[in-house]
Amino acid sequence: MQAAEPKAEDFAKYIGMTGTPKVAHMPLERDSLRRFVQAIMDQDRLYFDEAYAKGSRYGGIVATPLYPVHAFRSPAGSADRLNTVQADPDADGTDSSDGAYSSLPKIESAFKRLLNGGNEIEFYRCLAVGEICIATPKYANVQLKHGKSGSMLLVTIETEYRTQAGDLLLVNVQTLIWR
Amino acid sequence: MATICYEDLETGFRLAPVDKGRISTSHIMRWSAAVENWHRIHYDYRFATEHDKLPDVLINGSWKQHVLVQLVKDGLGAGGWLWKMKFRYKKMDIAGDSLRATAEVTDRQVVAGLGFVTLRILLLNQKDEVSTAGFAIGVVPLRGGPAVPYPFVKKPEYQDIRLPADD
Repeated sequence: MQAAEPKAEDFAKYIGMTGTPKVAHMPLERDSLRRFVQAIMDQDRLYFDEAYAKGSRYGGIVATPLYPVHAFRSPAGSADRLNTVQADPDADGTDSSDGAYSSLPKIESAFKRLLNGGNEIEFYRCLAVGEICIATPKYANVQLKHGKSGSMLLVTIETEYRTQAGDLLLVNVQTLIWR
Repeated sequence: MATICYEDLETGFRLAPVDKGRISTSHIMRWSAAVENWHRIHYDYRFATEHDKLPDVLINGSWKQHVLVQLVKDGLGAGGWLWKMKFRYKKMDIAGDSLRATAEVTDRQVVAGLGFVTLRILLLNQKDEVSTAGFAIGVVPLRGGPAVPYPFVKKPEYQDIRLPADD
């Protein structure tokens, strides 16, 4: 039996839904930041030189502006994310709990293939050493489109990243395309 | 270092490029480990080429984002602020590619005593192929004007300052 054609009204209910805030299990640490900036090959002294950073407008060591999107790691004692690879040699090594927007309700659809449609980010402040990052995702838009190559679902997720004190760090708007 | 001001950033001005050189599997592994990204297309050659039919292991898109951020952050100097950025991935980058990022001022305006510059940002490989493209809006002080506030605060006067549409 052929699957029913998706309808726009099937997806309207998701717009505005917010996920549970995801809280980084550790505050930003200098050594994690060291590994991070070495990996992106950015030698800005703001990220490691305390005296230099104190004399800057930041008042201390801060992370790179986009660091908050990577602030969420597996806490000690949690399930081993590589269990999937042991269980299935074809597993890709990713985990459904990955990503700041994993707490959003799953959108039910017949679409199988996921593409990244791009990101738009606004920056307001850098995460400082000792601060905890919290991410709150929201479905900003879920739109069914019909094109020459068939239907696709455009999902726009807006995620706010804040400190535990509530200071806004950045807003990341990501567009996902399901085909 | 002298503060970079709005008057220094005429339309057509190019920020200093960021050249990361040849990105090896070791660089990709270092990034994947730093952010605990265990997706095998980034470090498992057999999985990437045989299972996912890719030409080689891929340089992470998440890593490339940070190169573009560094490009604008460094280019605007210690008194500037990268406010907005958008980008799309145009092409895969694989292990062994050499990557560099460029930025050029395409538009500029003064709003409420601060300078706002729009930049075309690109990430290119050793063949000058664009793998990631987008735009950024940076905020810089006017010469002799007030400093860009930190944390940056979005004011109602800024509502018409938008990133260009995709090309």
